[in-house]
Amino acid sequence: MVVELTRHIATLFQFPVTEAQKISLAIDEAVTNVIKHSYGNEAGHEIRIEYFLDAAGMRIRLLYQGLPPDISDEEVNIGRMIKKKKKGGLGVKLMKTIMDTVTYSTIDGENCCELVKWRKAN
Amino acid sequence: MKSFQIRTKMINGVAVLYLKGHLDAHQVARFEKELVRMIKESNFNILINGQDLNYITSAGMGIIMGYIDEVREKGGDIKLCALNERVHETFDLVGFTEIYDFVADEQAAIEKFSSVIPKA
Repeated sequence: MVVELTRHIATLFQFPVTEAQKISLAIDEAVTNVIKHSYGNEAGHEIRIEYFLDAAGMRIRLLYQGLPPDISDEEVNIGRMIKKKKKGGLGVKLMKTIMDTVTYSTIDGENCCELVKWRKAN
Repeated sequence: MKSFQIRTKMINGVAVLYLKGHLDAHQVARFEKELVRMIKESNFNILINGQDLNYITSAGMGIIMGYIDEVREKGGDIKLCALNERVHETFDLVGFTEIYDFVADEQAAIEKFSSVIPKA
């Protein structure tokens, strides 16, 4: 549902359709990471999603409890991941490629993942 | 939950996996199960036909990443064909288009495998 909602909001906010689809994919990846890594795939936990929209662009915050994220700043190296037969780790690369910034922090004791997409100048 | 279907077919010694619908973290276990089954049955020439695949996330791409090395070590490959523009772009965003062989259509992809399958 959050994927469709994000795509809808981004489209309403006049991001091109292809950009809106990519932004919604980044949110899909962010939510999946929280469910998998912070909540251990357990049902019944809450993720609060906040959208901030202005002329400059779109800022999306995911606020959640659970384990804090273990996100490395190291550049994802696909060749190395293939050699290690890794199946995970692409989600963060997708998020960082699609969005202009992806940051993790703690706000008032809650984990926060913030994704920002600036509007391109015409 | 969006639907995802997978079916398989052997064509000229190539194991073709047809993916249909929406492949995300909820659906990925079925994709992995079929891919692993193909490899366990010693099918190392694997073609993923994404003609009817509408959406893929990192979970689905991660499965391909996790098994490609094993398949190539055994002399085979995992190729992809017939992806729509949106799905192809998702693969491109993580750099897969430089590492994997993406072919426009199924026939051409199978012919590429045929050129390396040893004659009996």
